[in-house]
Amino acid sequence: MKRLLGVALGVLTAIGGFLDIGDLVTNSVVGSRFGMTLTWAVVLGVIGICLFAQMAGRVTAVSGRATFEIIRERLGPRTAGANLVASFLINLLTLTAEIGGLALALQLASSVEPRLWVPVAAFAVWVVVWRAKFSVLENVTGLLGLTLLVFTFSVVLLDPDWAHLVHTAAAPQIPASEGAASYFYYAIALFGAAMTPYEVFFFSSGAVEEKWGPKDVSQSRLNVLIGFPLGALLSLSIAAGATLVFLPQQIEVSTLSQVVAPVAEAGGKVALAFVLVGIVAAVFGASLETTLSSGYTIAQFFGWSWGKFRRPSQAPGFHVVMILGLLVGAGVLMTDVDPIRVTEFSVVFSAIALPLTYLPILLVANDREYMGDQVNGRVLNGFALVFLVLIVVASVAAIPLMVATGAGA
Amino acid sequence: MSPRVRPRPRVPDELPELPPHLRPAGRVLDARLHLLDRQILDVEDVPVTTLDDLHVSYADGDDDVTSGDRPAFVDQVLTGPVLVTRVFGGRPPASRLVRIPWSDVVDVGVAVRLGVRGEGLDATWVQRWLRDRVIGRIPGGRHDPE
Repeated sequence: MKRLLGVALGVLTAIGGFLDIGDLVTNSVVGSRFGMTLTWAVVLGVIGICLFAQMAGRVTAVSGRATFEIIRERLGPRTAGANLVASFLINLLTLTAEIGGLALALQLASSVEPRLWVPVAAFAVWVVVWRAKFSVLENVTGLLGLTLLVFTFSVVLLDPDWAHLVHTAAAPQIPASEGAASYFYYAIALFGAAMTPYEVFFFSSGAVEEKWGPKDVSQSRLNVLIGFPLGALLSLSIAAGATLVFLPQQIEVSTLSQVVAPVAEAGGKVALAFVLVGIVAAVFGASLETTLSSGYTIAQFFGWSWGKFRRPSQAPGFHVVMILGLLVGAGVLMTDVDPIRVTEFSVVFSAIALPLTYLPILLVANDREYMGDQVNGRVLNGFALVFLVLIVVASVAAIPLMVATGAGA
Repeated sequence: MSPRVRPRPRVPDELPELPPHLRPAGRVLDARLHLLDRQILDVEDVPVTTLDDLHVSYADGDDDVTSGDRPAFVDQVLTGPVLVTRVFGGRPPASRLVRIPWSDVVDVGVAVRLGVRGEGLDATWVQRWLRDRVIGRIPGGRHDPE
C-alpha cells in the first residue's frame, strides 16, 4: 500500500497536467472533430514529459534543488525572469480556468449558477493549500481522480469498431471536413498541454516536499512511468468517447456537459456520478497544482523560503503569492469570461516558457557538480535533444497557427 | 567608476601574460558559474535569498578594483534592489544594497550555505514583514499543516 501511495505524486501531477479543465474539453473537441487522428500528438507529448519530468525529479532527488532554482542559476536573472513572467501567466490563466472549471463541474452536479460557486471553489482551494499536509492533498486528489477511469470503461461499453479506431490512430489522415492549419493547431495544443511547464515545477517541488533523496531516484522514475502514461490513457479515452458519440453526428463539443455525455450514454447514472467525482477531483487537483506552482516558481526565483512542509509563517512570501493568485483568478471569473477559453491563451506564453524551462533541466542533468555519477546517459541525451527541437518547433508555430485558425475555430 | 566589478569575462585586445599558477591545487570558483544566482541557505537549511550579486574590494577596503594591480577579494554577497538593476541595467545607490558579509559563508556547493540564521539578516526583512503583518495574522498561519 505504501508503495502504491508512493506514486501519488506522479498520478496527481499527471492528472492535473493532462486532465485539467482545458484538456478535458480539448480532448473531447478533438475527438468530435478529428476522431483519433491526433493520437500521435498525445503520445509524443507523454514521451516528452516522461523524459523531462524524470530528469527534473532525478536532479531534485540528487541535488536537492528544485527546477526554478536551476532555471535561475543556469539562465541568469534576465532570461530566467522572462521565463518566470511567461510561466507565471500560464499558471495564472490555468488556475483561473480551473476554478471556473470547478464551478462548472459543481453546477453540473447541483444546477446552481457557476458564478455563485466561484468564491466557494477559490476559498476551498486556499484552505487546502493553507492547512492540509502535502501528502494528504496528493493522496486524496490522486485516488479520487482515478474514478476518471470510467471514461476508459465507457469506451469499452460503447463497443466500438476497434480495428477502425486503431487504424485511424496509427495511420492518421486529416479529416476532409477540416483544414490542415486547424489540425496542426490542435496537435500543438495537445502536445503543449502534455508538456506544460507547471507539471515539472510541481513534480520537482513535490519531490522536495516529500524529502526525496538520492535513494529515491527509482521512486521518481516509477512515479513518472505510471503517472504520465495514465494521464495520456485517460485523455485518449475522452477523445475516443467523443469520437464514437459525436463524430458520426457531426456535433462539435463546446460544453462540459457534452464532455461527460459519452459516459452517460454508455454507463447511465452511476457512471455519470463517478465521472463527476473524478472531474471535480481532477480539476481540484489541477487547481492545487497551479496554485502551488505559482508560489513555487516565484519563491524559487527570488530564493525565498517555500514549501508546504513549513508553517505558513515560515514561508510568508510563498503564501502571499498564492493568495494573490487565487484572488486574481476568482476576480477574473466574476467578469463572466468563459473559463475554457481562458486556457487557450496560455498557448501563447508556452512559446517562451517551454524551451526556457526544459533546456536548463537538460543542462543541469549533465552537470557532475549537481549530479555526481547520476548524469544523463547518451541515449537519454539524444532523445532529450530531439524533443527539445520538437518543443522549439511547436512553440514557434503555436502563435502563427493560433492567429491563422482563430484559435482552432 | 563602478564599485562593483561584474564577473563577466572580458576579452582584452592583447592577451596578458598568463598567471603563474594556472591550475592551482585548490578549488577554483568561477564567480559567474559557481556563485551568481545560486540559492543561499542559512545554517538550518532555510532558504534566505538568491545570490544576486557580489561585492569585490581590496584588502584595505577600497572597492574601486578596476585597476586590477593588486589581488581583490569578494567581501560581500549582495541582494535586494540589485536584482532589478541586473535585469534592466544601471546600479542602485550604495545605501540601497542589501549585504551579507562573505565571512558568514561556510560552504559553496550547489547552494551557498551560511553559518548564521537567516532570521536576523537584512536580506530577509521583506519576508519578516509579510509574516508579521499578513500571514501571521490569518488564523492557522502559525501552525503546522495537518
